[in-house]
Amino acid sequence: MSTIAEFMRADHHFCDEAFALAEQAALDNNWEEAEIRFNHFREDMARHFRMEESELFPTLIAGNGPAGPVQVMRMEHAQMNALIEQMSGAVKHRDAQEYGGVAETLLIVMQQHNLKEEQMLYPMADHFLTAQRETLLGRMRQV
Amino acid sequence: MKTVPLNTDQAPPISVPLRFFAVAPLFLILAALVLLSDSDNPFADPHMPALLAATHCITLGFMATVMVGAMQQILPVVIGSPMPASRLTARFVFLSLISGALLLPAGFALGQPLLLNFAWPLLLLAFLGFIVASLLSLARSPAHNATRTAILLSLLALGAAVVPGILLAYGYATGTLSPDAGRLAAAHVALMLGGWVLLLIVGVSYQVVPMFQLTPSYPKWLTVALAPALFAALLLNVLLLLFQPDAAWLSVVAQSLFWMLCGCFAVATLVLQGRRRRRVADATLSFFRLGMAALLCAALLAIALPLLPVVDHLETLLAILFLLGFAMSVMHGMLYKIVPFLVWFHLFRGGVKSGVPNMKEIIPEPWMWRHLWLHRATLLAALCAPWWGAAARLTALGFLLQGLLLAYALFAAISVYRRTLARLEQTQPNPIA
Repeated sequence: MSTIAEFMRADHHFCDEAFALAEQAALDNNWEEAEIRFNHFREDMARHFRMEESELFPTLIAGNGPAGPVQVMRMEHAQMNALIEQMSGAVKHRDAQEYGGVAETLLIVMQQHNLKEEQMLYPMADHFLTAQRETLLGRMRQV
Repeated sequence: MKTVPLNTDQAPPISVPLRFFAVAPLFLILAALVLLSDSDNPFADPHMPALLAATHCITLGFMATVMVGAMQQILPVVIGSPMPASRLTARFVFLSLISGALLLPAGFALGQPLLLNFAWPLLLLAFLGFIVASLLSLARSPAHNATRTAILLSLLALGAAVVPGILLAYGYATGTLSPDAGRLAAAHVALMLGGWVLLLIVGVSYQVVPMFQLTPSYPKWLTVALAPALFAALLLNVLLLLFQPDAAWLSVVAQSLFWMLCGCFAVATLVLQGRRRRRVADATLSFFRLGMAALLCAALLAIALPLLPVVDHLETLLAILFLLGFAMSVMHGMLYKIVPFLVWFHLFRGGVKSGVPNMKEIIPEPWMWRHLWLHRATLLAALCAPWWGAAARLTALGFLLQGLLLAYALFAAISVYRRTLARLEQTQPNPIA
């Protein structure tokens, strides 16, 4: 049985991989490929955010977990979504320069965010939600 | 369970780190002017006042300024604990560090004891203030990770390095240099470079190398053991330097141990970067890899030194590889990542806004690549400089151009920040919380 931290860390890596493939294709001006890769990345990210926002965060708060950090994570999700939308515009306009600049920005926001979640929030969730972990992970897999 | 509070507002105001970064390139220009003002080749003799002055422009004026500025950002973000009274601390440390960093090289270059006598108390105040504030921040930090340990050891080494530095400056100023000055100078250099500079870069690399290029993390055993092992090896070397026991082999073993650990760090970083998932070209990555390659070369040269026939200037070569090849490359690379991100972050924080430029619009990428080539050429020239006077001139020219280019890039970033902020304030009520 994996912990919430292990499960979500693996999902971060999955999203990172998709990010790297999409960025490579866009900077190579291989736009057909870039569009497919970017859409995969956007879907992976959206699914990851849904797992957190509709399952993990509400369960953590209901289980007396701290609300402040969850609030910060939600705000950072909104920031990342705004950057992903900018990248989507760059894909539409076949603009490698714009894509590269926004992707660079997103990467640092995303990595800082992931680090905070992996080092603090997920261990916190594992700590507060030990009893419900299995069912919670089951629900998150269904998202 | 101990956790770090997740609070983005812990980041200091952008003016705190940026004032340090903005001033640092001016010291590269000063170093160039000092080197160019000397009619002889200053690299031919490490004790030449011009080389001593230029070295301190680079180590104190450029490197320490960048590192002190970066620490004010790193501590709250990575360790989860801001510096106490961050604005006041930044102002105090900035003023005393910059004035000391101007006066000390001026005192060496002009042979003016009065300037040195003004310089060392200012530098003492600057470093004391910085170390105390940083240690308080570390003590309050809820995080217990390898980066925190490396930063703590780096600060201890800085504290220890300041003491011989001050004694030497005082000795120069008053003409009372003791016969042990050579040993004190060696201890000062070892603690500053092998402790403060190296350990800070090691600790920060644990975080940023995986983050910037999507590499695997450093192995846990390495992050736990490396910084304490480097620190212990460094202390052993410094003790042997100061007390010089009869057994010369002990010094050879201690030095080899220290440099082997440096080599391990360089190899581990290069291997991780080789396994990066993000394969696109990136100037910061290239600066970092150049830095690690130079550190590895420095380590190999240092380990081979006792076996090599006596050739002049090999130790100068080692210093150039470490200072310009390793430390300066990594710092340039970090600046080109941190400054655009800080500008973006401070414009974007507090909510989602449109019209905020992305990182590559804040400092355009072609400038970073030009700087990388310029830096490679400067390093190459510096490695030839001890034997070839013309290369010393080229090195000085390289510093001059690097200083101008970096200053231009940083001031461009600050001007993008100011312009965008003004526009956001006009178009969106209360955009910055």
